Amino acid sequence: MKQAPEQAESNPGFQIAPMIDVVFVIMLFFMVMAGAVKVEHELKTTLPGNAETAKETDLPDEVTIGVSETGDITLNEDPVGAPGDKLLENLYNQMKQLGQAAEQSKTKLLITVQAEENARYDRVINVLDCLAKANITNVTFAVSDTE
Amino acid sequence: MAGGGGGGEGEPEFQVAPMIDVLLVLLIFFMSITSAQVLKVDKNISLPVASNGVKRDDKAAAGLINISWDKTTGQAKYKIDDREIDPNDKEGIAKELSDRKGTNEKYRLLIRADKECHAKYISKALEWGAEAGIDNIAFSGLNKEE
Repeated sequence: MKQAPEQAESNPGFQIAPMIDVVFVIMLFFMVMAGAVKVEHELKTTLPGNAETAKETDLPDEVTIGVSETGDITLNEDPVGAPGDKLLENLYNQMKQLGQAAEQSKTKLLITVQAEENARYDRVINVLDCLAKANITNVTFAVSDTE
Repeated sequence: MAGGGGGGEGEPEFQVAPMIDVLLVLLIFFMSITSAQVLKVDKNISLPVASNGVKRDDKAAAGLINISWDKTTGQAKYKIDDREIDPNDKEGIAKELSDRKGTNEKYRLLIRADKECHAKYISKALEWGAEAGIDNIAFSGLNKEE
């Protein structure tokens, strides 16, 4: 009986082309996934009532932004943002103008974010995020005591 | 003089072993960068979006307070790093934060709170910071919507 012919080469040798193919696919996968990665950002504030009193200082322009329980945003008691308005464009524009005016007059702009006790945290963050967008750095955060 | 190590064959054979070596090193590298968390964050917290914030600086010393929100009871739960704390023990928490701060004036309090949490619970964490003499506060948020 005739035997099946043995394979001439048992080791076909490593093929570089499909290997590069696979490596490229893996690389593409990582590149695409890198765009979807969620990273944590931080918004910096200071606690209120931390003023130096040893030297004479110019009183800064103080602006209070209120965050109500219902999600309404006010700027010195004037409404600037409705509950569903996450971008707060109106507040951003006013903050930008105030920031520029303070820069021109070389005064310090001090913003106090005053939230009601039961105001949602994400609404507070919306306001702080808007201030960060407008390059306002002197921000303090306080919660109004309604009791 | 003896020649260098030039092989007789022009094309050297591809070695699988060093290739696997390199791939394993890459694998370990990716595994390590994804799991390296200096801060012990609470993964159950659903953070709000703060796309205009600055990227978190993990190198700067910070006391981390995780505030999760229990929807059923409408109460917040506090953790310093991954250890649950009793919010009524104001002195104990302030002392712990103060000890951690030491003499580092740049020490900050990093607050990671759930987006549904109420402001009064955040205020409590700020009080502890004030009691411990920390006035640099940073709020955490995600760069994009979940």
